[in-house]
Amino acid sequence: MSAILELKGVSKRFGGLTAVKNVSFTLNQGEILFIIGPNGAGKTTVFNLISGFFHPDEGAIVLNGRNISRLPPQDTARLGIGRTFQIVKPLASLTVLENVMLGAFMHTSSLRQAQEEAEKILDFLQMRQIEKSQARGLPLAMLKRLEIARALATKPKLILLDEVVSGLTTSEALALAELVRRLPEWGVSVVGGVEHVMQVVMKIADRVVVLDYGAKIAEGLPAEVVKNPAVIEAYLGAKYKELAR
Amino acid sequence: MVVFGLCALLLPVFVNNNYLMQVFFRIVLFAALGLAWNLVGGYAGQLSLGHVAFFGVGAYGLAICAAHGVPKWIAFVLAPLFATLFAAIIGKIAFRLRGPYFTLSTIASAEVLRLAAANWPLAGGAIGLSAPVLFSLGSFWKSFYYSAVVLAIVAFMVNLWTSRSRFGYYLLAIREDEDTASAVGIDTANYKLRALLLSAFLTALGGALYASAFQYIVPDSALTIEISVQIAIITMLGGAGTLIGPIVGAVLLLGAQELFKTKFQESHLLIYGILIVVVVLFLPEGLVGGFEHRSRGKKQPAQAAAAQGGR
Amino acid sequence: MVQFLQACLDGLLIGALYALIGMGLALIFGVMRIVNFAHGAFLMVGMYASWVLFDKFKINPYWGFVPAGLLLFAFGYLVYKALIQPIRARSDFMQILMTTGIALILVDTAQLTFGADYHQTNLALVNSTKHLGPFTLNAASLLSFAIAAALIVGLQQFVVRSRTGQALRAIAQNPNVAPLMGINLTRIQGFSFALGIALAGIAGGLLLPALYLFPTVGEDYTLKAFVIVVLGGMGSIEGAAIGGLVLGVAESITSLYLGNQWALAVDFVLFLLVLSLKPSGIFGRQRA
Repeated sequence: MSAILELKGVSKRFGGLTAVKNVSFTLNQGEILFIIGPNGAGKTTVFNLISGFFHPDEGAIVLNGRNISRLPPQDTARLGIGRTFQIVKPLASLTVLENVMLGAFMHTSSLRQAQEEAEKILDFLQMRQIEKSQARGLPLAMLKRLEIARALATKPKLILLDEVVSGLTTSEALALAELVRRLPEWGVSVVGGVEHVMQVVMKIADRVVVLDYGAKIAEGLPAEVVKNPAVIEAYLGAKYKELAR
Repeated sequence: MVVFGLCALLLPVFVNNNYLMQVFFRIVLFAALGLAWNLVGGYAGQLSLGHVAFFGVGAYGLAICAAHGVPKWIAFVLAPLFATLFAAIIGKIAFRLRGPYFTLSTIASAEVLRLAAANWPLAGGAIGLSAPVLFSLGSFWKSFYYSAVVLAIVAFMVNLWTSRSRFGYYLLAIREDEDTASAVGIDTANYKLRALLLSAFLTALGGALYASAFQYIVPDSALTIEISVQIAIITMLGGAGTLIGPIVGAVLLLGAQELFKTKFQESHLLIYGILIVVVVLFLPEGLVGGFEHRSRGKKQPAQAAAAQGGR
Repeated sequence: MVQFLQACLDGLLIGALYALIGMGLALIFGVMRIVNFAHGAFLMVGMYASWVLFDKFKINPYWGFVPAGLLLFAFGYLVYKALIQPIRARSDFMQILMTTGIALILVDTAQLTFGADYHQTNLALVNSTKHLGPFTLNAASLLSFAIAAALIVGLQQFVVRSRTGQALRAIAQNPNVAPLMGINLTRIQGFSFALGIALAGIAGGLLLPALYLFPTVGEDYTLKAFVIVVLGGMGSIEGAAIGGLVLGVAESITSLYLGNQWALAVDFVLFLLVLSLKPSGIFGRQRA
């Protein structure tokens, strides 16, 4: 398996706060990797760093051998990094179809082609029936799928899913997880970020990286990581029961 | 739109009053200016209140070039090019700023131009400059009216093309959420600039036409912030981001201005102000925009009312 | 050299008034992120209020600014409740447009009520001067400076010491945190807006003796106010005070060497310069 994304000793500070501390990990082709950690562990910051909204103070981020640490978001997107946002950002006054077409436009300037691409993706995500609805006013489950659809339309090499199932009911989350599990079929590797919906992680993750207070404290197969005492300690409290299962 | 076009083209056939023709010239000219502004303020969602700068460069460009012996038709093409150059410079600075700072910088740059024109001998100072008459085929005002119609059609076509192209969709994305736009690979600064350059060119053509039609310009007529505000209101009232919104706005606003000439003239600013307040409070999408918005929303899924959570 | 220093002094004297205007806008824009393009118009209203008090009731503007200020406070609060609060959640675009509309209404109403004629108070004070060594200081300017300076210090103390003031600064730093600290956001914001408007009105009142009064007198001051806020750093009320003084001196020096008409241009140039080079202002911290 070849590595498509590598973080090497990445750190990021905001004023006095070190949000990410010397984090390193690798994402391999076709993998589904999940970054987990309690609130404030730095997951979203890592996503912002990878996609170029922030730049690392130390370390490097390498995509297919190319250092992308200093690139702005539009360039990382063009190089193949798709992303969804934790707080969904649909283009509210556009329709579902148009939202996804925005992504497709990265590879074509033809409206018709973009529309065809978008429809294919909406098929996969089972959203065709609402394609003409305005994004504003859709239920959350659909908005989350829209985020993925739009990112997928850019034909990325990897996709960053930040808290993609948070706020959904269990059944909605599991349904979405099934779709996420199939993303590698589209040639897309996945880095997901999750705080506490562990069932999803256990079901579909190939590997897990655990962050706490900005530093990596564990890495490995889901079943292993979950038994790791350091991880359990980081998640002490209400989460404990869920993890011990 | 076809209806509008036909009306516009046939109008001079029925009207023989010179003064009225001048009024119609202004209405159509401002419709064109509104359509030009629509690219930046409507599609891209960037509130520029400094568009009179481009208008003024177009007007003064024509006048100054002509005063230095440049043939008038070459000057007519050259002036908008200057405006586009100016737009490129201003855009570089202004688009790095978000929200109100962007708008303020557009106002500031227009005001700098006005002060420069008022104090610079080359531009005639406060006394102003005269501009060449470009054409006079038959009736003076009728020919200028037709030229304004041509400009408006061109501006409309540009809007039409934009609304059906990837360029237009990219602008809409920028308007809705610049972060999301970057995340799908859009170079937001670049596209905003492109919209501005296009808009500036068209606006400057309008300015040059205006200068030629009235044959004399002063800073307070060609570079005043009132024009910037008027262009913005026309488009917002009619519906920013729509195709016929600016046209509707121009017809209504300038038409009303003429109809209530005496009362309006004294308190036209007051009416403008009230209009803006009303539009912002109750009709933020303008007349046409509100209509479109409502008809689009018809196909909402039944669960639209369900709780969204997490937001 | 003396001329230069004289210009600086004159600049400082007017700068204090600018500081008042800027601090008012800093309260509104800095604290509430409301883009108030009507700031100059409210200044004009304050000027007319003081004028009416002077013309009809023979109240000297150097006292009259107090009732004028109170009037503007109430007026500002009303405007906020009726027109601004409903659109708090909307985009900057809409707020700019709304305040532009309000400005137009205010200016034209003034014109319809008072006519476009210039008015002028002809106080003796305006023509008397005091001498300080080689420097000549206009007595009226000195008095308005003194009053303005007192108000500035008072305001600064208020912002730093009082609970309301601290609440204002908290909101300026991070509006999301405020409710967690038990701050009633709506009331504070209304108060903040009203206070900002009152300051503009007071500045207008203090400017009345020195200027001609006409409906569009406030136009230039909106931009000046924004320049000051930007110079001082968004949200920094103390910064705005310094910014006001800086602007006053800059204008004065420009007037000396290039003539009066370019003084206004200096405002724009400064504005564009600061925004290009250090958008966070002289005293601002980096804001996301």
